[in-house]
Amino acid sequence: MDDIEALYRQRHDSVLVPLAVRLESYLRDQLRSATRIDRVAARAKSVHRFVAKAKKQVADKPKYTHPLSQIQDQVGARVIVFYLQDVGVVSKMVDDYFRKIESRILVPESESEFGYFGKHFVLFFPSELFDAELPADNAPKFFELQIKTLYQHAWAEANHDLAYKPGEELTADQKRKIAFTAAQSWGADQIFSELFSQLSAGHVEAAAVEPTSPLASWRTTFCSPPRPG
Amino acid sequence: MAMILDCIHSFLVHPEKKHLDQQTPIRGTLVEHSGRLFGMLRDVFEKADRECTHDITFDAAPDGSQQNDFRDLMLAYLRHRSLDAGRTIGERLQRVTTNKSGLGLLFLLVGKDAAETKIVLSRFPADSGILAEEEAESLSVQFLEKVFMKSATAYKAAVYRGKTLDGDFWDGRAVDKQINSDVLAISNYWIKEFLSSDFRATSAQGTKRLATAILRATRQATTPEAKQSLVAAARLASGLQGKTTSIKDFCKRFNLSGATVEIVRAAVPNDTVFGERFRFSPSEFSKHIAFESVELDNGAILMAAASDFDTVFQHDVVDKQKQRVRYSTEGQVVDHKFRRSR
Repeated sequence: MDDIEALYRQRHDSVLVPLAVRLESYLRDQLRSATRIDRVAARAKSVHRFVAKAKKQVADKPKYTHPLSQIQDQVGARVIVFYLQDVGVVSKMVDDYFRKIESRILVPESESEFGYFGKHFVLFFPSELFDAELPADNAPKFFELQIKTLYQHAWAEANHDLAYKPGEELTADQKRKIAFTAAQSWGADQIFSELFSQLSAGHVEAAAVEPTSPLASWRTTFCSPPRPG
Repeated sequence: MAMILDCIHSFLVHPEKKHLDQQTPIRGTLVEHSGRLFGMLRDVFEKADRECTHDITFDAAPDGSQQNDFRDLMLAYLRHRSLDAGRTIGERLQRVTTNKSGLGLLFLLVGKDAAETKIVLSRFPADSGILAEEEAESLSVQFLEKVFMKSATAYKAAVYRGKTLDGDFWDGRAVDKQINSDVLAISNYWIKEFLSSDFRATSAQGTKRLATAILRATRQATTPEAKQSLVAAARLASGLQGKTTSIKDFCKRFNLSGATVEIVRAAVPNDTVFGERFRFSPSEFSKHIAFESVELDNGAILMAAASDFDTVFQHDVVDKQKQRVRYSTEGQVVDHKFRRSR
């Protein structure tokens, strides 16, 4: 494992860090025509996190026999968009301009669990990013791309920071609180999405119409009516 | 370090796409490591990286997961290197082979190249031929059926390499001499249907790269001839709809001069991008090269949709030696405005 750490450290410093800088700039350029992007970021996986992942065991055997080839998020990129509709817009652009080996929507494992994640891709690095200074031979073939709304991003970051402390098990009450924040983020995205659809279609008056969708009913039940004046 | 060819299997593959429920059993054999056939196949194995010029990648599964049916068969064959594991690859080829592609002999060649495992899949199409043998004072001729040749017009192969079967072998290179056939069943047969793969550059990605390179090259070109040849090539590009090409191939196809090709080459980031193949998309191309403009030394700037420029403006040469031209057009004024800049 020491070998892997040294090998990865070498790759991290000489290849992954400059590659992430190039990828971020490339993504910005490719997604330039998408209007509601809050931010685009790419980063190289830290040596510490890579080694921890490479050491994972499944049934008392190493999960990865060749971590440098098998771990596909050595460079990870993230595109944060405003609304749920924008996830679709950016996903379409990614489908058009990148070759993928994986594309999925990250969802909780069961309906009764809460979590709020976003869209995930594993993509080939585009050939443009390589040259004599940064040859493709020493680089991984893939990078991971996540597309999230602002609320998905906010929830995932806070959840990761609070809910995954090593050696600390959450109490039932703390789990309920995490689930509550996930549901609230989900609800905020749904409502922004509805508002965006209504307002961009010029149906401002739709807000005054009797709600019919389950979400609209939920809003009627649980949200206070606007104060007059 | 020299390449080592370890294992060769061969399978006779019938055209049975239309008979999926009644497949002819595939006959296969292990090819011995001696003799002239081995020598020829070793040559195919060693030259595959040069002969296979199309960068390809396996498709994700329809549900978006990281799984590909052909890759699974290939990895199973690489693990076991058995006749049975190879036969499943032959059966897959048979299920997508139509009468248009016909009978073929499939070779699976596995070996080592430095620290990597390398596999070459090579399909030799069947043909008929005549065997002529000179004897002491005569010549004997004989008709031969089922002659399998490395045809210059129909040869197909693919090469993959990797260090581990658990994470590598997601991309490779292929050659298909019939990739630009107008018959979809032929052009899709090898890479899309059999290998369940596609070009590494998507249609939109490759077309955008080409359009961007042409735009940059047109700005960089210093001679009217170079600019004109680039504009002419861009105008004719729509004729490539659905065809596979590369930036390099585009330059060759439209007979750009050596100097102009160098300008285009300098406008792309590296040789890989210059040579990477993709399926041309006219709609993507016109997103990036929408308008064509001409500026004259008297201050006039003419502009029209790139696809219509030649029909919107009539163009006459007034004085060839002085390179003076006259443009004329006729229409109804629908807008008239100032612009901040060009």
